[in-house]
Amino acid sequence: MLAERESQLEALLVEREVEQFLYEEAELLDNRELHEWFDHVADDVNYRMPRRLMRENTSSVFSEQGYYFNEDYGSLKARVERFDSEYAWAERPPTRTRRYVTNVRVTRETEDLTEDELFVESNLLVYLSRGDSDEHTFYSARREDVLRRRGDTFEIADREIRLDQTVLSTDNVSIFL
Amino acid sequence: MAAGDKPSATERALQDARDSLDEGFFPLEFFHDEDLHDLEMERIIGQSWVFIGHESEIPEPGDYARRYIGDDTFIFVRDESGEVNLLFDSCRHRGAQVCRAEQGNTSHFRCPYHGWTYKNDGEAAGIPQKSKAFKNLDRSEYGLAHVPRLESYEGLVFASLAEEGPSLDEWLGDFKWYFDVHMKLPEGGMEVIGEPHRWVIDANWKTIADNFNGDSYHTAWAHGSVLDLELGGEETVGHAGTGDSLDRHIHCDGHTTSMRGFEGEDVFLTYPDEVVEDLFTREGLSDAQWQLARQALSFTGAIFPNFGFLHFGDTTDDPEKDVAPFFTIRKWRPLGPDQMELWSWGLAPKNAPEEFKQRMYKMYTANFGPTGNFEQDDVPIWKGITDSASGQFASSQNLQLNYQMGLEWMSEMDIDEEWLGPGFAYSENLEEGGMRLFHEQWYEMLAGNDRTDATGTPINLQEDR
Ligand code: FES
Ligand SMILES: [Fe+2]
Repeated sequence: MLAERESQLEALLVEREVEQFLYEEAELLDNRELHEWFDHVADDVNYRMPRRLMRENTSSVFSEQGYYFNEDYGSLKARVERFDSEYAWAERPPTRTRRYVTNVRVTRETEDLTEDELFVESNLLVYLSRGDSDEHTFYSARREDVLRRRGDTFEIADREIRLDQTVLSTDNVSIFL
Repeated sequence: MAAGDKPSATERALQDARDSLDEGFFPLEFFHDEDLHDLEMERIIGQSWVFIGHESEIPEPGDYARRYIGDDTFIFVRDESGEVNLLFDSCRHRGAQVCRAEQGNTSHFRCPYHGWTYKNDGEAAGIPQKSKAFKNLDRSEYGLAHVPRLESYEGLVFASLAEEGPSLDEWLGDFKWYFDVHMKLPEGGMEVIGEPHRWVIDANWKTIADNFNGDSYHTAWAHGSVLDLELGGEETVGHAGTGDSLDRHIHCDGHTTSMRGFEGEDVFLTYPDEVVEDLFTREGLSDAQWQLARQALSFTGAIFPNFGFLHFGDTTDDPEKDVAPFFTIRKWRPLGPDQMELWSWGLAPKNAPEEFKQRMYKMYTANFGPTGNFEQDDVPIWKGITDSASGQFASSQNLQLNYQMGLEWMSEMDIDEEWLGPGFAYSENLEEGGMRLFHEQWYEMLAGNDRTDATGTPINLQEDR
């Protein structure tokens, strides 16, 4: 009985750690501290955003071949570093974003995970506002991450972003999700 | 303009546009005008050949995809006999839409309203209670309406809402010579990978048409970040008019392409040697076309009015990785004077190794499409042009945009007399003739004339054209 309570408590602590990590990550991205964010990216990362499809009989289908992002460490790094250029006009001035991370769940059952890896699902709502107009828009997505313990924090080993839009309603995607 | 009707402000303004164009100007206000938008839909989109999709997107009988011409929704579908159709998505009973999904496979489309059913070639197959309720209705007259004209060129399907007019072959004219180089270079041709990217942006469709019709001038500046990071070489991204490369702006039968390449070298758009050796074929290409492909580093181009393409070599998604080519085609679909939907497809040689096809698709998304390192920076700029055009100032001050680059009084600009292809080629890329050509055709069609009446570029000065 006591052992059971202890393992529940343990799970709760892990969940709490993961949540804190995702909130802090969101803050880095909202502040456009991209290099600090990228410090949390594992060097074997696989960062994907497949294209959502709209099909007749199912609500959740994603393209096998078509995607918006399919990045490894090097290509993701290049995308991050591109924003250091004074010519990266898409983010001059930077998009104002606010990320809302909810419905965080940690599961350990997924195959291929090592001892120090966690499979984490979360919902993400991003508010975006640009320029000096009153216009704003949102991205809504579900994320599936593999987070790997690194010291007292985590690194992102794998991320799949499952956007809810089929047709994007923004000029471009110049932020990370 | 219908005779006898009092011309609207837009029509009066349009009359002045002809004079502006002769001077190399184009009024800013035309990038945001409600009345013009309606005219454009009717006289340009409604009278042109508009791109629908590539046949490789619907390879099997029953495969379909929802596609659009202007505001009209169609079903792009391969029927049971293997024919490609474009059916108006509207039930013949009371007009409901019968196609539910963006893409899929079905033998029949069933109307959700009262259950009329259509085969995938459009034929009406079933009408509930017909013998009681519609006993004298002839089913053969109640199939889904087909688009008036549908034609295909190298797997690229175009449609026209106009019953009559030039055939697709005539519309593309000799420009096919250039497009053949892309589509016929690899044995087995090109195919589309995945599903097209789609995104809606608040910009007028003519801004992107301008860009694809030969804006070599913007590349080094607008895409300086790509250059900074060495994701694309100086000769791909660098300043117009300064390269050691062979830089040509080509106009052919109303369409344009810009190329960069190296004279006498084997460049082949930086396709890897294995692909060049195993797949590239001179079959179906003339010696001159082969030579163009061999020397080419990159191509940009546009087919009037709303189709664009890029075939780029020497790009990468990571400065540490080898460069690779990508090939993308796109469509800009006007939704309003200040809005369009962009459609963008990545292609690869059909018979290339799977791994290489994926590499090409990755090059495409790294560079273009909504997340592309190039494209991210273009779109917000086009939005800004549309914004500037939207208020009082552009029209009250009659602000004219400058498209004079390359006109004889602005710079020395030669026509390459030795040019190996049809049409004609400016011997450098520091000129804006492709955009003038686009706007002239735009003007002629809006004025109810033939787009081949466009003047002001050497296109009509060449004999025998
Ligand atoms: S509207 Fe389609 S069956 Fe009535
Ligand atoms: Fe550009």
